[in-house]
Amino acid sequence: MATKERYKNRIELLQGTLDMLILKTLQWGPRHGYGIIQAIRSSSSDVLQVETGSLYPALHRLERQGWLSSEWKQTESNQRAKYYRLTAAGRKQLAAEHQRWTQLSSAIAGIMNPAGEPS
Amino acid sequence: MTRRRRERELQEEVEAHLRMAIRDRMEQGQSREEANYAALAEFGNKGLVQEVTRDMWGWASLERLLQDFRYGARMLRKNLGFTVVVVLTLALGIGANTAIYSVIQAALTPLAIPEAGRVVMVWTENAKRNWHQFPASVPDYADWKASGVFSSLGAMTDGGFNLRLADRTDRINGLKVTPEFFTALAVQPHIGRLFLTQEAQPGHSAVAILSDALWRSSFAANPSIIGSSVVLDGVPHTIVGVLPKTFPQIGQEEIYAPLVFNADAAGSRGERFFQVVGRLRDGVSLAAAEQRVTELEHRLSTQYTEDAGQSVALQPIEDASVQDARALLVILFGAVGFVLLIACANIANLLLARGTARQKEMALRVALGAGRWRICRQLLTESVLLALLGGVVAIFPSLAAIRFITSFHLDELRNRDLIALNSGVLVFNLVLSFATGILFGLAPAWQAWKTNVSGAMKEASRSVAGGGQQRLRGMFVVSEVALTLVLLVGAGLMLRSFAQMRSANPGYDSRNVLTVRVALSDQQYAMPEKQIAFFERVVREARSLPGVVSAAAVDDLPASDNLHGSGLFFPDRPEPRSEDVKVVLRDSVTSAYFATMHIPLIRGRYLNETDRQSSAQVAVIDEWTARQNWPGQEVVGKSLKLGTKQTARQIVGVVGDVDQGILVKLLKGQVGQVYLPATQAPMPAMTLVLRTAVDPTTLIPAMRSLVRSVDIDQPVFQVATMDATRATGRASQQLATSLLGSFAAVALLLAAIGIYGVIAYSVGQRTREFGIRMSLGARRLDVLRLVVRQGLLLAAIGIAVGLAGAFALTRLLSSLLYGVNATDPVTFAGVTGLLAAVAVAASFLPAWRATRVDPVIALRCD
Repeated sequence: MATKERYKNRIELLQGTLDMLILKTLQWGPRHGYGIIQAIRSSSSDVLQVETGSLYPALHRLERQGWLSSEWKQTESNQRAKYYRLTAAGRKQLAAEHQRWTQLSSAIAGIMNPAGEPS
Repeated sequence: MTRRRRERELQEEVEAHLRMAIRDRMEQGQSREEANYAALAEFGNKGLVQEVTRDMWGWASLERLLQDFRYGARMLRKNLGFTVVVVLTLALGIGANTAIYSVIQAALTPLAIPEAGRVVMVWTENAKRNWHQFPASVPDYADWKASGVFSSLGAMTDGGFNLRLADRTDRINGLKVTPEFFTALAVQPHIGRLFLTQEAQPGHSAVAILSDALWRSSFAANPSIIGSSVVLDGVPHTIVGVLPKTFPQIGQEEIYAPLVFNADAAGSRGERFFQVVGRLRDGVSLAAAEQRVTELEHRLSTQYTEDAGQSVALQPIEDASVQDARALLVILFGAVGFVLLIACANIANLLLARGTARQKEMALRVALGAGRWRICRQLLTESVLLALLGGVVAIFPSLAAIRFITSFHLDELRNRDLIALNSGVLVFNLVLSFATGILFGLAPAWQAWKTNVSGAMKEASRSVAGGGQQRLRGMFVVSEVALTLVLLVGAGLMLRSFAQMRSANPGYDSRNVLTVRVALSDQQYAMPEKQIAFFERVVREARSLPGVVSAAAVDDLPASDNLHGSGLFFPDRPEPRSEDVKVVLRDSVTSAYFATMHIPLIRGRYLNETDRQSSAQVAVIDEWTARQNWPGQEVVGKSLKLGTKQTARQIVGVVGDVDQGILVKLLKGQVGQVYLPATQAPMPAMTLVLRTAVDPTTLIPAMRSLVRSVDIDQPVFQVATMDATRATGRASQQLATSLLGSFAAVALLLAAIGIYGVIAYSVGQRTREFGIRMSLGARRLDVLRLVVRQGLLLAAIGIAVGLAGAFALTRLLSSLLYGVNATDPVTFAGVTGLLAAVAVAASFLPAWRATRVDPVIALRCD
């Protein structure tokens, strides 16, 4: 059970950000879980490695919140996989989180790099 | 989507993920084994991933509910005083409902008779003679039996038996039944057997069957009792069987003996003593059976003058066994329902008042993103939690109430032994608690729904509630008052009818009189001479007991359940048609009866020692009979006959009217009374009446041993003072009175609290207004009047609504009332006055507080 707790903690820590990343990744079309991990990894130049133990709970939670919907489809290599798609509510949520993120990151940037201080 | 399907999909989703990962790796050139291994390692613990993911599914709503509950529990703990008051109020209301439901559930449980729907009571009906559900005669019974409608038809009479046990003789209830009685009910004996056909023949009938209760109480549930002998009415009977525990007793029968028709009764169509119960023959519907026996009865009624105007009714036994209790149960269930509604209104009001105080909290939560719906649900959860707590605590009062109700031995109630706090009743308690919580929780939830967030943030700080809310609270008080009024009227009518029974001059002096009944067994005392000899001896010996002033015996004590009626005939007048015959009560009394009971002599003389079997046949009548039958004439010296074939008796005296008790009043209104000397009309069962100079109850042991010393086989029973006999009435009336009385008292208290709460709250709100008024010169009395008027206005509306409801509902009570009309204006007026007074008192306290307002502080306050 200790391991499970650890997973949970990590989810909570990452939750807000991971959610945003997932929503952002799905902005350009439906993807399955494996595809989302690959997309985040490649667009972050291999910096962000999302763990399955964080990804799947997040996907299921976002789906329940109505921000994602899912369907079973064939992959290009003719495998059956569950594809997640952004809903209208999810799009709105993405916009909100994006805005919040921008504010937050500029605020943090402001603290880390105060104006006038040579960087 | 079912959980199982989701489970499968998750599994598939993970497998698909792995397959894709392996495929990618193999495309990058890894071997299958390497790819497999790396993909799995990268994925992590498969089972754990699935488990954590599963946590994200549907349990959220349950979790949120738990969270609501935890939060609710915290709130309730924080306001402990409030919680305790509400839980106790609810415990009373729900407890009362639970208790009454346990009775209703028992009454609704089907009788333990196979195919009970096919079993019917067969009643004689005669509209002309005002007979409803009348017993049958032996020839009637034989005719019905021959009709071919019934597969078996049994007859029964109820009565008592003297059962000799090792150390004493007991008077126990019993039924005499024909063997077909048991076949009609399709009962199987627990042990032993039922009656055989030949045991209904004279000379073969010394057998008995025990009820389960008697077998346990007096025979230690000994299975080897079968075949042993027991002395019943002085005659040894062989016990042949014991009935199963589930056998539905009709009343409190404890022993069954064969019913043997004697030759006299077998020929007489006029002697109707038998209740008849039958099972319909297969393939014969109730309607078809009714039609066939009705046709048969129609033929008989034209054939025999005794049966003129007679018809017959079939009543399903299920129906027969609840009809007497139905009114009582409906009334009690209605009353407890009202009490609970009143409690709900009160609690809703309390919650509304508290809700106003919590408005700021709620507004804050809304501002923090909690939806309105979420807040409403939170409030409802709190209410349900309160109600469930109340329901749990309610178990205690309901246990007490059930014990109280079962202590009444309500004969009308069937399945009395099933009245208990069983699982069905507990489920009812749970469902009711939940529903109650939702009901009173709707008010605060509605209030929260209406809350305007930004407005509330501002308003709450000034604790001003919207007008709509105050109106809602007023409405609750109005409905509380209305419901309370209905309950009060019900209780008032019952109390009045009780008072009527007690205070009306009964026509005798009931103080210091002990009554003791003895029923001589008809085998040992078959000869009338032996009967009268027994009672004269007991009366003589009783008179010499220290403390006894005088003693007598009477066969039907006034106000008791024992009654004997006779047709009244006049030797000097033409014989009336049978349906025009007047019925009078006849009573056999020993000579000192009138003197002992202090029944005044109006004309002529009392009966006395000179009236013997061999002397002139005489009678004494009451004033009412004299006035009805010989208006304006000298009655003493006139003759009457009780039955066409009886000898004529000369009236020697007229005595004062005696209250015959509610049974007669309810059935017939006023009925005349004829007294015969016991020497000339001996009876096997009489009640001894002793007028005493001391507390009559102190003579009970002496009387018991006196009767035992005369004949050990004759037990005494119905031992009571005359005061107690008069006061008792029917058990159902007593129960209805005490329960309605306590329900009404609780309702009145709750209504008072409700009025107080609303007025106090509104005074609190208007503090500033009162301050202004008083600083502008209003006197304290003006303010007082202003506030009290508000309380009275609410009460007045409630009373008006309640009066209308009471007028409509109290006729349900009429079968339980005596000497009072269901719309008795005195009761209605009295109750209205009481409620108005309570309303004034409840609003006076807050009003008085309003007058204490210091204008300066009031104006400055918040």
